[in-house]
Amino acid sequence: MTATHCPYCALQCAMTLTPSQEGVSVTPRAFPTSKGGLCQKGWTSAAVLNLPDRITQPLVRSQAGVLEPTTWEHALAFVAARVTAIQDAHGPDSIGVFGGGGLTNEKAYQLGKFTRTVLRTKHIDYNGRFCMSSAAAASNRAFGIDRGMPFRVTDLAATDAVLLLGSNVADTMPPFVQHLAGVRERGGLIVVDPRRSATAALTDAATAGEAGIHLQPLPGTDQTLLLGLLHLVVAEGLADDDYLAARVTGWDEVRRSVALWWPERVAATTGVPEAQLRRTVALLAAASPARGGRGAMILSGRGSEQHSDGTDTVTAAINLALALGLPGRPASGYGCLTGQGNGQGGREHGQKSDQLPGYRMIDDPAARAHVAAVWGVDPESLPGKGVPAVQLLRKLGTDVKALFVHGSNVVVSAPDASAVRRRMEALDLLVVCDFVPSETAQLADVVLPVTQWAEEEGTMTNLEGRVLRRRKALDPPGEARSELQILADLAAALGSPVRFDTEPATVFDELARASAGGKADYSGLSHAILDAEDAETGHFWPVLPGSTGTPRLFARRFAHPDGKARMVAVSPGAPADDLRRDAPVYLVTGRVLAQYQSGAQTRRVADLNAVAPAAFVELHPHLAKLHQIDDGEDVAVTSVRGTAIARARITSSIRPDTVFMPFHWPGDGMANAITNDACDPISGMPEFKVCAVSVGRADLVASISAGSTTDEGVHV
Amino acid sequence: MSERVVVVGAGMVGHRFVDELVRADRTGRFAVELIGAEEYEPYNRILLSEVLAGRADLRALGLPLPDADRVRFRRGVAVDAIDPVAQEVLLSDGTRSAYDHLVLATGAQAFVPPLPGLEDDPKHVHVLRTLDDTRNIAARAMNAKHAVVLGGGLLGLEAACGLRRRGVPVTVVDLDSHVMATQLDAPAARVLTAQLRSLGIDVVTGTSVAEVVSAYGEIVAVRLTDERLLAADLMLVSCGIRAEAGLASGAGLVTDRGIVVDEDLRTSDPRVFAIGDCAEPPSGMTGLLAPGWAQADALVSVLLERDELDPDAVADDRADPVKLKAVGVDLVTMGVRPSQARDDDRVLTVSDGGGNRHADLVVRGGELVGVTCLGFPEVSAALTLAYDRRTPLPADPLALLVPASAGGGVEATPSPMRMPGSTTVCRCTGVTKKQIVNAWEDGATSADAIAGATRATTGCGGCKEVVCGLVDWLNASDPGAGAAGGPAAVDTPVTSRNMTVDSTT
Repeated sequence: MTATHCPYCALQCAMTLTPSQEGVSVTPRAFPTSKGGLCQKGWTSAAVLNLPDRITQPLVRSQAGVLEPTTWEHALAFVAARVTAIQDAHGPDSIGVFGGGGLTNEKAYQLGKFTRTVLRTKHIDYNGRFCMSSAAAASNRAFGIDRGMPFRVTDLAATDAVLLLGSNVADTMPPFVQHLAGVRERGGLIVVDPRRSATAALTDAATAGEAGIHLQPLPGTDQTLLLGLLHLVVAEGLADDDYLAARVTGWDEVRRSVALWWPERVAATTGVPEAQLRRTVALLAAASPARGGRGAMILSGRGSEQHSDGTDTVTAAINLALALGLPGRPASGYGCLTGQGNGQGGREHGQKSDQLPGYRMIDDPAARAHVAAVWGVDPESLPGKGVPAVQLLRKLGTDVKALFVHGSNVVVSAPDASAVRRRMEALDLLVVCDFVPSETAQLADVVLPVTQWAEEEGTMTNLEGRVLRRRKALDPPGEARSELQILADLAAALGSPVRFDTEPATVFDELARASAGGKADYSGLSHAILDAEDAETGHFWPVLPGSTGTPRLFARRFAHPDGKARMVAVSPGAPADDLRRDAPVYLVTGRVLAQYQSGAQTRRVADLNAVAPAAFVELHPHLAKLHQIDDGEDVAVTSVRGTAIARARITSSIRPDTVFMPFHWPGDGMANAITNDACDPISGMPEFKVCAVSVGRADLVASISAGSTTDEGVHV
Repeated sequence: MSERVVVVGAGMVGHRFVDELVRADRTGRFAVELIGAEEYEPYNRILLSEVLAGRADLRALGLPLPDADRVRFRRGVAVDAIDPVAQEVLLSDGTRSAYDHLVLATGAQAFVPPLPGLEDDPKHVHVLRTLDDTRNIAARAMNAKHAVVLGGGLLGLEAACGLRRRGVPVTVVDLDSHVMATQLDAPAARVLTAQLRSLGIDVVTGTSVAEVVSAYGEIVAVRLTDERLLAADLMLVSCGIRAEAGLASGAGLVTDRGIVVDEDLRTSDPRVFAIGDCAEPPSGMTGLLAPGWAQADALVSVLLERDELDPDAVADDRADPVKLKAVGVDLVTMGVRPSQARDDDRVLTVSDGGGNRHADLVVRGGELVGVTCLGFPEVSAALTLAYDRRTPLPADPLALLVPASAGGGVEATPSPMRMPGSTTVCRCTGVTKKQIVNAWEDGATSADAIAGATRATTGCGGCKEVVCGLVDWLNASDPGAGAAGGPAAVDTPVTSRNMTVDSTT
């Protein structure tokens, strides 16, 4: 019996693994965050351990172009020789590293260290850039620190109102919904989503005690909506003036900046009726502690963040929270719902292009000196800032000749994925560490088989900043190895004198030292301490030696030097790829319950495929009728970047001017063939959540495009 | 040396122009001076009727202050004259400011017709144009017993509703045959009038004020052109606006109804531009904010010699939506109304006088080109979007008047008996009714046992009630439990729609 946590999302539901004939069996385990719950992904997670196509041997592409099994010795020597040759010819920065938000803290840390000390390239980033970066940038700007939720998940039980922005938790982290029971009972759940998602439906009186509110704005107008809510807070005299005076800077400017977002204008821009705006503000204000409520929370998800103005949109959400006096108050505040399993820890320990462990900035001389000392290298030898993920991917085949990919399936999960695939194919060397032949691994020159969750020790940091232990229940199959071992071996093969430990507990101790004094300070933690933990207490970073951690941030001060939160005035931008006559509908993308991210793992589980077998296009009956599309027929969705074809799912739960596609599938139904790689200028987060498309019946579109191919390509 | 841009008027259009210019001028090419006659910081004039109605705190009106590093902002100073030869403006404080480019954003004044009785300037007769006007009217409203609003246009009606909300009995007097004649056809206006009356606002149309009657220097009544006498201790004149073009004409610039400008917003003096309510461009004057803002943005492009933003962008020649801001009345109009429709336009009208509702939709070539929407608050914002963004219309445009998500939510949980076997009961774990029944037949006769056997209820727990209901139903139908002879009709045909909680399958 092994106590560990689910391999998938950031809720990190607790589970017990018991040896069984197939390997291990999974049962849910009581824990404050998951409350004994598991979704179908968690229940079936053991199926991924012994997949028929699990990679169990290193693979190197042969002269004939086929990935063929080989020995570790040969694979590592091959990689080392190619890396050396490429760097000799093109310099250290010609190698890129693409990490993942699913890696343990130990692996994420070691990957960053390997990049900076062995490869000595500035070119590292990770798929967390697609998930958390805008919320992270906004939180850092406002609070001086970025811990997704600065309070406990269990604090939700006590609050009177939750404003959920662009997050479909009922599908993406179902056991989380248990924490909304109280607020639903009290009619305090407000969900902002262009779709009446499973989460938005939780606002129904039929399923809740009291009806909450579902705001269904036009995609790309979330920031306008938030500015409109803040305008009403001011207009109706609901701002918490004492709190603003004592704890916040920048209020005067922010207050003025919303003067131009009066309700009628906001309603006309977002499509949200004015009465709903007013009701939302009244509900949030009544729930805020300053006005005698039990608490109000504003939580954001990818729906509001994955935009070219995503950082400013989150800032607008934070400004609203600050104006109501929420952050730092009981059962109140702003939080970001992190997506990936270690999306929090993965962004703290050095995978980000501009960061060193402990959430230190790589251009800060003191940070460089501290981390270099832990690593035993000269601070001068560390590279400087790299570039965010989308820019890194754009450099493939030109500035960046070789790429290491760890825990990511970019040719399905990146925006404008077909273009990413073309650039990947132009690389001189692609090395992929994975345990399944993902679409990205299939393009690789070298595939290195790695361990997965039940086969390894380590730590993960969940959406609350709680550090959790991942524990080993069984040995990895075949020759699969931990990435800690692989990175140590590669460092040696590349002739590096830098020490790379392979024991997770030892690596964690080093991580703790490297993070000491940083914002995400883990220096008071070790595997032994975590193993002795009381789940009810938990260990929330920052954890200094001798302390048990910090479950709730901001009670007395924010993390800026003056202790105050900083409000920043923002203004909404338009989607980079906006509606036109030939693209009159918005595409939004998202997840379904029974699949996860690019689907590399979940598409291999029969029970999950039975529920969610293929991509689909959700569209409103009005739009379907206009294009004579029947339910279940193939629909072509086309943007300037490409076309995806998937079955129509006709539902009045979506806006008539919007279609939705889940992004878990490659091939014809690949949503990311259409999405735009325009990025937020501050966070580098791509605009997955809105682009202009045309829709049509796939058979008609195919026949039209066959007849009208022009020099510029297919025009539909 | 940077080019000197002097902007006269710190209203909403002048403010926008300065803000956009400073933002766009990254090289510091322009030195900007903004001159505002009002003592106050720039404020949102659109919201004055909201302040009058007691719905908006004054603090919600203050606009962002111009960037002090980039803009010299002088408030409480009027421009008395322009010297186009010297390229200078003369200010009320006796100073002069030289310009390379002069931008006139002097706005408009409320038009007050020359009514008999007004020449003595009686107290408590107001216009609603400035913050001071608003304060004065609001102050008077505390003691007023009957207010008369002359002019049943947008602002007049907003003010009337605002005064009514403050408890003052109000009569609206309009010379036209119906209220909001600029925006509404008679049928829509009839419904609006009924709606106003239901709020306690009297409406008198086809007549005007013949004389303002005062006593001891204060208004006491108005006499209408039909000889009726209305008691009035507060009067608001809302008869439209007149462009503030005096400064321009005094400098010899060509003026007509406003300051005449070309498509580049240039006056007859190439150094001088005009934007907003004071300007009369070739496309005409609207008195609305959105075109003024568009002019501000366009002038920034002209001064920066930028190309037009996006040649592919849809040229927007459409009239801007007009929304009445008032509690209890939801009215928005835009574009073509039925009386202006062409023969081949599709015009849909729903008129429900008893329900205080009226809607006209004008569809041309598959696009929504006109909307009159009164009393449909759930769809008025969506209609504005469909018009503004030209999103695809439903095949039957009448569907636009029904909230698009109607019927799209989760329906009430059907009874366990009527639920088809293929219905997903537990979304989180993908367990169907059939699986639960099978588990029951295998001996799982409690909700906990079902959870153990099927995993149902172990995700978010939201289906617990349904699972308990199923178990109760199964147990009731066969108290012996677990026998093969349990309820066989797992796939009971249903007449109502199935449970639609599952959006992922």
